[in-house]
Amino acid sequence: MANILLLIISILIYASFGLKSLIFIVFSALSTYLAAKYMYKNKKLIFYSTLIINILILVFFKIISFNNFLNISILVPLGISYYTFSVLGYLIDIYKEKYQPEKSIFNYFLFVMYIPYLFIGPISRYDQISKTLYNKRTITKDNFFNGLIRVAWGLFKKYVIAGRIAIIISTISSNPEAYFGSYVFLALILYSFELYNDFSGGIDMVLGFSKILGIELSENFNSPYLSENLREFWRKWHISLSTWFKDYVYIPLGGNKCSKIRNRINLIITFIVSGLWHGINYFFWGLFHGIIVAFTPKEKSDFKVLNITLTFLIVSFLWVFFIYPDSLTSFKMFFSIFYKFNGIDLINNITKLGLNIPNLIIMIVTIIIGIIVDIKHDKLKSIYNLKIDKKLIIILSLLLITLLLGIYGLGFEKSNFIYSKF
Amino acid sequence: MKKRICIIIIFFLSLFILLNRLVTPKYQTELIEGHMIKEYYQEAKNHEVIFIGDCEVYANFSPIQMYKDYGITSYIRGTSQQLIWQSLEILKETLKYEKPKVIVFNVNSMRYDKPVSEAYNRLTLDNMKWSQEKINMINSSMLEEETFLSYIFPILRYHSRITELTKEDLDYFLNEKNITFNGFLINKNIKPYTSFPEQRRLPSYTFKENVYKYLDEMVKITKNNNIELVLIKAPSIYPYWYDEYEKQIIDYASKNNLHYYNLKKVVDEVGIDYNTDTYDGGLHLNLNGATKLSKYFGKLLQDEFNLTDYRNNESVNSIYQNKILLYNDAIK
Repeated sequence: MANILLLIISILIYASFGLKSLIFIVFSALSTYLAAKYMYKNKKLIFYSTLIINILILVFFKIISFNNFLNISILVPLGISYYTFSVLGYLIDIYKEKYQPEKSIFNYFLFVMYIPYLFIGPISRYDQISKTLYNKRTITKDNFFNGLIRVAWGLFKKYVIAGRIAIIISTISSNPEAYFGSYVFLALILYSFELYNDFSGGIDMVLGFSKILGIELSENFNSPYLSENLREFWRKWHISLSTWFKDYVYIPLGGNKCSKIRNRINLIITFIVSGLWHGINYFFWGLFHGIIVAFTPKEKSDFKVLNITLTFLIVSFLWVFFIYPDSLTSFKMFFSIFYKFNGIDLINNITKLGLNIPNLIIMIVTIIIGIIVDIKHDKLKSIYNLKIDKKLIIILSLLLITLLLGIYGLGFEKSNFIYSKF
Repeated sequence: MKKRICIIIIFFLSLFILLNRLVTPKYQTELIEGHMIKEYYQEAKNHEVIFIGDCEVYANFSPIQMYKDYGITSYIRGTSQQLIWQSLEILKETLKYEKPKVIVFNVNSMRYDKPVSEAYNRLTLDNMKWSQEKINMINSSMLEEETFLSYIFPILRYHSRITELTKEDLDYFLNEKNITFNGFLINKNIKPYTSFPEQRRLPSYTFKENVYKYLDEMVKITKNNNIELVLIKAPSIYPYWYDEYEKQIIDYASKNNLHYYNLKKVVDEVGIDYNTDTYDGGLHLNLNGATKLSKYFGKLLQDEFNLTDYRNNESVNSIYQNKILLYNDAIK
C-alpha cells in the first residue's frame, strides 16, 4: 500500500513537469517490463528491439537537447538519462539471466519512477534497490532525523557552497574575451568545488529523503577529490554512472580479460561513450579521461599529498569542457592559462566577478568546511548515533545557515542542478 | 528529552524571527517610502479625509498644513506607485480602523492594469500589517518571479542583505523613527523645471476593464459607507496624463456622481512656480509647492464637504499642536 502511494505521488510530481514527459517514461517502463516478462518467447528479438528503441529515444532527446534546434529542448523528459539507464540495466540483466523479472507492474514502475532520483540520480539498479524498495518499511525516529541531517547538509552544499561559486563561474565563462588566463585557472579550480557540491548536495538530498522513508540508496560519491589517481577518482565519483558504464559497456567490450592494449582501448571507448552521454561537446573530456585512466599505473606512488594534488588538478583542468559552450572555446581558454596568466590582475579584480568581500570570505570558508567534512567523513558518521536533541540542533543550524547564506530566490538566477541536464 | 527538544525549537524559532528582522530593510535612511504604510497604524484614527494613491499624493499634499489653515484632520495613505487594486485594499483596511467623511483618490494609477515592479510592491507591502487586505494585495500585485512565502518570511527575499548590512539595520533594529507627517513626505530640495520628456504615443488610451472594476468597487464601498469619494489628478508638468484619460475620468465621475478635480489645470491659481516648487524638475512638488497646493485644496475640501474645524476640539488640537511643533521644526 505504501509503495502504491509512493508511486502515485511520484507519478503526480512527474506529471507536473509535463504530461508529454510522462508518456515517454511510461513507455520505457512498460516496454521493458513487458519485454522482460515475455523475453522467454523470443529472447533475442524482444531484447534487441526493446533495447534499441529505448536507446534511440534517449539518443534523440540527447541530440535535440544539446543542439537546441527548434527550441525543442524544453520537451526533453525529466530524468530521461537516469531512467533509461536504469531500465536498460534491468533489461540486460534479465537477458543475461542475472535475476528473475519483476512480477508486479506496480513494483517495477516504482523502480523506474521513484521520483527523488529522477531529478539527479543516482542511477538505480534493480537488483540493489529492490531489496530496500519492496521490503516492508517503517518510518523510524532515527531514520527520520538521520535523513533530515543528510537533506539539510545537501541543501547547504547546493545553495551555500555551489550557489555562491556559480556566480563567479558564470561571470568568467560568459565572457571569454574579458576573462582568460588566470581567470580560467580560478574558474576551473572553483568549478571542481561547484560541481561536486551541487551534484553531491543533490544526491545527499535524494539519499536523505529516501532514508526518511526507510529506503536505503547506494552512495554516489566517496570523497572523490581525495583520490590519488584518476582510476581511483572514477571509483569515487558518480559511482552509479561509473559502475553502469563498467558493467554494461566496459565489461561487454572485454574489460580487462584481454591484452593490455585491448584493455586500454576498452577503457578509452568506455570513457568516450560516457563523454558522449554527457553531450557532443564532452567527447574530448571523455577521451582525455579515458587516455589518462588507460595509462595510469595501478600502483600508487608514495607521495600521497602530491598524488591527490595532481589528480585534483587534472580533474579540474578537464572540467573546462563543462564550463564553455563548445570544444574549441574550451581548448582556447584552457591554453590561455599558460600564455596569458596574470595573477596580479586577478587579485585586483577579484571583487568584480560577482561576489563582494564578505561573500568571497563565506565562499572560501564554506569550501574549506566541505573539504574538512570530506576528509573527516568516517569520523563524522558518528553524528548519526547522537541523541535526537543534538541531531535537531545540527539540522536546524544547517537549515538556518542555508536560509541566510544560500544563493536562491529573487535577485539570483534560478539554480537548477548542473547534472539534471545530463 | 521532550522539554529539551521544545527549548531547541523555541531557540531556533526566535533566532529565525530575529534574523528575519535583521535582514529586512528598515526604510529609514534609504528608500524611506517603504516606511510610510507602517506609520498609519500608530496614528489616532480620527481623520475626516484620507488620501489614497501613488507618490502624487504623499509628495504634493501636507495634512499638517491643512490642519494649520482649516483644522482639517487628514492622513495620506499613499505609497510609491500605488496601483489601483492596492488603493482599493488600503481603502478597505482604512475602513476597519475609522470612517472618514472623504476619500481622496488620485487617478494617476488608472494607467496601470498590471503589476509593474517588485521593488514598488515591496515598498507598499513590506510594512503593511497582516490582514485579509494585505493578502489580497500580495496576490494581485505579485510578479511572476515573486512568491507569497517571501512576504510572510522576508528572509527568503532579503537574505542576501546579510553581507550588505549597514549601521541603519542595527540602529533601527528595535525602534524605527517616523519619516512622514500624517503621510506627507517632506522634500525641501529645489530642482527647477528645465525640460520634460516628449509625450509618448501609446497603443491605446483607454483604461482597461479590470481597472474600472477596482474603481467601481471603490465607488460601491464609499457609497455604502456614506463617504464622499473625490477623484483628483495631482499637478505634474510631465506629459503623462493624456486628454483621452481626462475625458474618461470626467465621464466616469459624471456617471457616478463623483467630484473630480484636475489640479493640473489650477496650477496658476494655486500659484505653483515650477522653478521653485518642485524637487525633481516638475514631476513632483517640493515643500513649497505642497504647502501652496494644500492651502488651495484644503479650502476646496472645507467648502465642498462640510468638514469639521478640529482646531476648536481641545483633545484633537492638543495632538495636532505637538505635530505642528515637530512639523515646523522639520520644515525650517
